[in-house]
Amino acid sequence: MKVAVFLPELIRHLFRKPATVDYPFQKLEVPPDFRGTPFLHPDRCIACKACERDCPAEAIEIATVNEAEKTFKMVIHNDRCIHCAQCVDSCPTTPKAMEMDKLFEIAAFDRHDLKAEWVFARAVLKKEPKPAPAVPQAEPPPA
Amino acid sequence: MKTALYLLVYPGLLFLFVYSTFAEWFDRKVYARLQNRMGPTHTGRWGILQPVADFVKLMAKEDIVPSRADKTLFVLLPVVGLAVVLTAGLLVPVWMSDPATPGVVSFSGDIVILLYLLSLPTLIFFLAGWASTNPFSIIGGTRVLTMLFGYEVPLFLSVLSPALLAGSWRLAEIAAFYRAKPLLLLPNLIGFAVALIAVQAKLERTPFDIPHAETEIVGGTFTEYSGKKLAFFRLMTDVEMVVSAALLAAVFLGGFGGGPLLGFIQLVAKTLFVIFLLSVIRAVTGRIRIDQVIGIAWRWLAPLAVLQLFIVILIKGFLR
Amino acid sequence: MKFQIPIGPQHPALKEPISLRMTVEGEVIRDADIRLGYNHRGLEKLAEQKSYIQNIYLTERICGICSHSHAVAFTQGAERLLEIEPPKRGLYLRHLVAELERIHSHLLWLGVAGHEAGFDTFFMYTWRDREVVMDLLEMISGNRVHYAINTLGGVRRDLDEALRKKILEGLDVLKQRSEYYFKIGASEPTFVARLAGVGKLPRERALALCAVGPTLRASGIPNDVRKDDPFAFYGEAPFEVATADTCDVLGRTVVRIKELFESYKICGFILKNLPSGPVAVKAPRKAKPGEVVSRYEAPRGENIHYIKSNGTDKPERLKVRAPTLANYPATVEMLRDGFIADIPLIFAAIDPCICCADRTVELRDARTGEERSVRFSELRRTAEERFRRLPAQRNVPWPF
Repeated sequence: MKVAVFLPELIRHLFRKPATVDYPFQKLEVPPDFRGTPFLHPDRCIACKACERDCPAEAIEIATVNEAEKTFKMVIHNDRCIHCAQCVDSCPTTPKAMEMDKLFEIAAFDRHDLKAEWVFARAVLKKEPKPAPAVPQAEPPPA
Repeated sequence: MKTALYLLVYPGLLFLFVYSTFAEWFDRKVYARLQNRMGPTHTGRWGILQPVADFVKLMAKEDIVPSRADKTLFVLLPVVGLAVVLTAGLLVPVWMSDPATPGVVSFSGDIVILLYLLSLPTLIFFLAGWASTNPFSIIGGTRVLTMLFGYEVPLFLSVLSPALLAGSWRLAEIAAFYRAKPLLLLPNLIGFAVALIAVQAKLERTPFDIPHAETEIVGGTFTEYSGKKLAFFRLMTDVEMVVSAALLAAVFLGGFGGGPLLGFIQLVAKTLFVIFLLSVIRAVTGRIRIDQVIGIAWRWLAPLAVLQLFIVILIKGFLR
Repeated sequence: MKFQIPIGPQHPALKEPISLRMTVEGEVIRDADIRLGYNHRGLEKLAEQKSYIQNIYLTERICGICSHSHAVAFTQGAERLLEIEPPKRGLYLRHLVAELERIHSHLLWLGVAGHEAGFDTFFMYTWRDREVVMDLLEMISGNRVHYAINTLGGVRRDLDEALRKKILEGLDVLKQRSEYYFKIGASEPTFVARLAGVGKLPRERALALCAVGPTLRASGIPNDVRKDDPFAFYGEAPFEVATADTCDVLGRTVVRIKELFESYKICGFILKNLPSGPVAVKAPRKAKPGEVVSRYEAPRGENIHYIKSNGTDKPERLKVRAPTLANYPATVEMLRDGFIADIPLIFAAIDPCICCADRTVELRDARTGEERSVRFSELRRTAEERFRRLPAQRNVPWPF
């Protein structure tokens, strides 16, 4: 029966730096593609409402401000958001209009402080210019 | 005047309060570093004020007495417990304990009084658990008494063997004897090991923290205590740790001599060494069951203590 | 002298609320009574209001530790109903995350077992090593818990070469530490003395009470969904089912550590043989009417999802049978004739994930025995009325 088998490991740890990160004085870097909070690029959005339909937490609201000028208002309720990034996946534009940033320290005292709003005019998909019709070759003179 | 200084400042009330919070900080820091974590950091430099902060926080919290509990016992027990361990702290031979002149705090037989004063907290824990009338507290109280049957005999035997070798029942004289002949400390090493384990059981620290096992019986004896009473109980366990460490240092490591200043430095150094060993034992093992405690105590600790006694008697005969 | 101790709903031994009423004589347990329902959230009803793609995230949040296994079980079933098949690369990546989650869950369990036994040092060490797995999962999926990497038809993100190498390095570090724990932890006498001979569940009783997962495999029965019903690539992956013969908590610990090593093997196999290609196919929105039963081996045992569809884009019924629910009757059997000191260890040995297990609560009339279902608002109203009517009483014995 061995007694105190962990002892060499324990004493070794006395001389090593602790594994704890001294938050909030030191912070760790988050990796790229970290799913923080969602935000909108208003100049790219075509107001298709795919993100509103697919959000599991009903955190995105898109309302029409002015029918004639085609302006819309999007509200992202960050207090309801579950940070799944499905809105980013559902967005059909390229480059994507919804994007996740890297913020994770988003605690607030009032849930209404966590709502973000954008009023924008719907972006128009630029049509690809039609390739110029091929110049018809001069018909060879009839033999 | 000197008595007032002794009672209130050093090694009385103020010194024991400050030093026991420092000892708790040391214990927590060593325990954390052994586990590769940081321990207390933010309060004061290196977190040294953390135990004081805990004490102040507990004093400010709400104090609830359960309606079916025995009110007199419930309220008195923390105060009586603290008084008992503070009195035991007065018997540690630091100052005013010249071996030549027996005085009020250092007299022949004071090692026995110290040991008995240190057994009283166990009874107080049992009464605290019983008076709470909560199933968890009752189980905790019965476990405390069951453990007493295990570790008390090895502790007494192993602490009394160096006293036998030194030929006196007075702490100051034992310490002076070993300071004069330091080589005679070596035959007492088995006793030192047995005493360390038995003291760990008395202080209810892992592997023997069965009476207040957090994951099994919530708080054990302390389940119903909150606020000021819990603060006193926690301070009582800290002071008990310092006094037991001082007892072990006085008997096994040669005491604290050389006048007040040198004695103070030796006190701090030797008790911190004993507390360091206790922290290592705490980090290395897991909690064992109550029936296994009795098994270990009577199968290993008691025979080793008797063996130590035997060695001491042989050496004494040899030296004559 | 028998008296009753309540373990829960609030107790430091439990991570989630559940009520175990133990009848105790001295230190020996004579009987245990399990009462559930404290964690009921109405997930199955909510799943009927959300579309299939939204339900992936809902099922993921049934639990935190085994979140990916619920998502995989649901996605497998939904893919069957939508009649699409994910590409090979997608399947490999999905199960890479699943095996990494199994590693993370078993390391977590080792720490929790150490903490319940009072061995806090072991707890701190295993959880420090678990950070390696969680950082790997964060790099793959963007979040440490709730990976959300499944989508209908495959996975959402891809691995590149640099990340593949990082995962292999992280796995090497973990393998070394796990071998250390296996060698040393198995010989620490105080720890082993707490685990050996505790919570015995003989082979026939384990089969009769329908235990699942490591609880069953520690009684010597090699049941594992990945081997019995191979799906994805588990038919070709080289791994064995881990069993132990001792039928007690030490056996369950050994089974979980062996499963750690099997998971390292499977992850290595996946990373070395990753096929190229797309990671997902496009999924239709509506599912034809039908029903499907989907099974998956979560870290705790067999996880069953039943989905019924009716032609719209929302499921008609979702039923989740979590593995912990199947282990509860076995727990009552294991707790009899044990010590109070063993309660946390026995209960922790089935790896309880109580939030997975709470589904519907049934009210049964004690006099006539008939069942009825009640709305929650109705329950609240009845309780408030009763409270107003009753006089204040002192020294009330517990209602049994």
